Amino acid sequence: MKKFVVTAALVALVSGCAGPNPYRAPVEERGQTQSRQPQPGTVVPAESAPGVKVQSVERVPVIRQQREAREEAQPAPQAAAPVPAQPQSPAVVALLETARQDSSSGDLRTAQSRLERALRIAPRDPEVYIQLADVQRRQGQFLQAEQVALKGVSVAAGQAPVLKRLWRLIADIRQEGGNSQGAQEARRKAESY
Amino acid sequence: MSKKRTPPAKGRRSRRTTKPSRLGRLVRWLLKLSLVLTVLAAVGLVYLDAQVRSKFEGKRWALPAKVYARPLELYPGQALTMDELKQELKALNYRFVRRADQPGAVEWASTRARVYSRGFAFPDGAEPSRNMLLTFSGDRLTSIRAADGSQPPLVRLEPMLIGGIYPKSNEDRDLIKLDQAPPYLAQALVTVEDRAFYDHFGVSLKGIARAMWVNIRAGRFVQGGSTLTQQLIKNFYLTSDRTLSRKLLELPMAVLLELHYDKDEILEAYLNEVYLGQSGSRAIHGFGLASQYYFARPVQELELHQVALLVGMVKGPSWYDPRRNPDRAMERRNLVLKMLFEQGHVSREQYEQARRQTLGVVKQRSLHKGAFPAYLDLVKRKLREEYRDEDLSSEGLRVFTALDPLVQTRSEEALADSIARLEKRYGQRASDLEASMVVTDPQTGEVMALIGGRDNRYTGFNRALDALRPIGSLVKPAIYLAALEQGYTLASPLEDEPLSVKMPDGSVWEPQNFDRRSHGVIPLHRSLALSYNQSTARLGLEVGLDKVIDMLERLGAERELKAYPSLLLGAQALSPLELASIYQTIAANGFRMPLRVIRRVTDAEGRELSRYPFTLKQQVKPELVHLLQYALQEVTREGTARYAYSVLPDNLNLGGKTGTSNDQRDSWFAGFAGDRLAVVWLGRDDNGQLPFTGSGGALRVWSEFMRRERPEPFVATRPAGVEYVWIDEATGLKSDPRCEGSRQLPFLVGTAPEQKVDCGLENPVRRSLDWFRNWFN
Repeated sequence: MKKFVVTAALVALVSGCAGPNPYRAPVEERGQTQSRQPQPGTVVPAESAPGVKVQSVERVPVIRQQREAREEAQPAPQAAAPVPAQPQSPAVVALLETARQDSSSGDLRTAQSRLERALRIAPRDPEVYIQLADVQRRQGQFLQAEQVALKGVSVAAGQAPVLKRLWRLIADIRQEGGNSQGAQEARRKAESY
Repeated sequence: MSKKRTPPAKGRRSRRTTKPSRLGRLVRWLLKLSLVLTVLAAVGLVYLDAQVRSKFEGKRWALPAKVYARPLELYPGQALTMDELKQELKALNYRFVRRADQPGAVEWASTRARVYSRGFAFPDGAEPSRNMLLTFSGDRLTSIRAADGSQPPLVRLEPMLIGGIYPKSNEDRDLIKLDQAPPYLAQALVTVEDRAFYDHFGVSLKGIARAMWVNIRAGRFVQGGSTLTQQLIKNFYLTSDRTLSRKLLELPMAVLLELHYDKDEILEAYLNEVYLGQSGSRAIHGFGLASQYYFARPVQELELHQVALLVGMVKGPSWYDPRRNPDRAMERRNLVLKMLFEQGHVSREQYEQARRQTLGVVKQRSLHKGAFPAYLDLVKRKLREEYRDEDLSSEGLRVFTALDPLVQTRSEEALADSIARLEKRYGQRASDLEASMVVTDPQTGEVMALIGGRDNRYTGFNRALDALRPIGSLVKPAIYLAALEQGYTLASPLEDEPLSVKMPDGSVWEPQNFDRRSHGVIPLHRSLALSYNQSTARLGLEVGLDKVIDMLERLGAERELKAYPSLLLGAQALSPLELASIYQTIAANGFRMPLRVIRRVTDAEGRELSRYPFTLKQQVKPELVHLLQYALQEVTREGTARYAYSVLPDNLNLGGKTGTSNDQRDSWFAGFAGDRLAVVWLGRDDNGQLPFTGSGGALRVWSEFMRRERPEPFVATRPAGVEYVWIDEATGLKSDPRCEGSRQLPFLVGTAPEQKVDCGLENPVRRSLDWFRNWFN
């Protein structure tokens, strides 16, 4: 049993290192014991806890039994592996394409309403956020544009090339909005992918 | 007028008499009088002319604003069942037929539907009318094929009209253009009401003479000599009193109207003005609205026999009312058909075919008014922030909202079902239960459905907006999020022990747990999942009330929050809508989006007046929200909301929180799946005690709704700054997947505990012993 677990963990580790696993759903199966592989790309240093009373635990050894059977259900820890971009539906492709045409012909408002339609259909597609942020940038709505792009970052977790584009876009938006320091930070983030 | 001009002629003659006499003075007096009258008449004529023109050229009618639901988007791969499409098309008054060969019709097969859509002029582009074949597989629409063989990637059905904003007079109209009128409408109208319409100049002497002749022969009033123009004048400019002065004004005005405008313009105005019935306090004016009222379809789709019926009703909408006097209406309709045939407008075959039709009138409906009162109420409040009442009720604005009638129906059904079950289970103790519910799309911030009370046709107290009730434990996620922001982790040990806080007014606050017990030291995530009060109160006081209030405000609370310790256990009252806004931010990874009900407002011609675009603002770091989302999933997997998974699929990754106010007067649940967020409140208007908690009441409604809704699973990708670490549940120390009592928890990178428990992984001897054991097993 234990051997199996160790092997399973090893296999998971290896397959995780080998790149995106097409057979794994973005959310881990419940009760499955898999080791978590490190996130590729940058690790953003987390803020250390500033002056908080978290009780320190005494350093007395704690002994536990080894696990024999599957544990009962736990909340699904969410995807840690790089997430392959989801295939776009033809509807979203069509909306993005016509929005692109609207926007290059200067009809930004129509482009915006098309992108909002796309957003309702595919709210987890970073491409929609990229285009929407860009349209808002061209309308001079820099604050909104930046927020939309940041939402894009939050849905694009694990997709390095997309994250690179998003941070570049954020850099442009900040630059045009007059925040050159923020732009520089964003550019650095873009470089890290 | 000619009568008034006769006296001057007499006057001229009388002036020649040299001797002033009584007669002469009278004549002179008459002369002056008639001069004055002539001038007055001329002025009057000019005035009439101005009136005729200004009314005809300006805004002719007060047009109520029209409020539309979201249009249903159709695309391959969409989660949509045939039943749902059926429901949508039924509400759009599509005809279910054997062969869908004209707009507004649909034919059904086992896995396919041929839909002939009507098309709609959306403000961002016209959607053409399409004849298309939709194929379904399971719960999805798999393909759309147009009649020309093309496969459109995305199609919008026309949006459902869900209501209007009416002026006090309750006038309503569905304006039509002459070229939109169905075949035979104009001919029938002219044939029946005014055959000489295209030849006369507003008044038909022949018509008057004929009418007089008929009336004299009959010995009573049977026929009026009014032309269509006169009828229009009568309805349009004059009051309905039958006075002589009105009759006298009618003739010159009719002539003036004809002088300025051509026949088609006059006919078009007539089509929209004519009175065709009464729906409660609302008058049905015009063929457009009458077509909806009697046949539930757009006027363009009317068939010959239906046109004939409406035209026949012009003579007396109440006398020939097809609902109250069907026989009379049928006789009148057939008379109209006969006249059309005799005048050569229709063939004998058409005539015979139309005569055989039933009246085809739909059951009386309220014309959508009142179908979605709670949502419309919210729409109106938003509109009034920007528009004046008189503009809303007269400018013909078009308001496009985010209401999803399918979601609304499912939430109403889920509520009714669950309440029936609660009443059955708790009997008298569950009497007078009231409810409200808000459903949003957490990804876009749009409000999809709203329930303001159990009677969802009733336009009264809108509890979703106006009922402020203590939110109980629904406040807790904000406390825990504030704590995480201050450096706590999900594994931080909390003390669930009694506490008492001395209040400024001298009273003592001693919160209790629901089970009246204290649970000692427990990890933070557990305390939230099981909704312990004492540990939460201690945590909140440690973190600071100001921090908690600040977090609530960042998440979406807009009301002033009182900084009492009891806030930590949800003494603060909020509306369901406000709570939806707070939970929305949690479901959307810390991005706050103002809840939107209106997408866009245009004028009557479709020009955009205002839009309410997608806006958002990051309020909390996505990494921290990710931790909270984990804990909220634990609530449904292992905590107080476990009931949810007894009716819902395992893969939904629901997040949510139960809430019960003091003394069990309010039962709350707020939670989300991937593309739906719902807040449910149950309680009584008299604030009476309930026989159930948040999980026993509101959660049941919520789960039943989600079961019907079949939402997408909640999937949040792990942010780069978060790592999952195996933790020993009891101690909060680091552990290993192979150790008993361990579970994975997310941490901000670098904040996971360092000390490890030991389950023999470092001890080779133990390992071999275990191996033995396994072997023997």
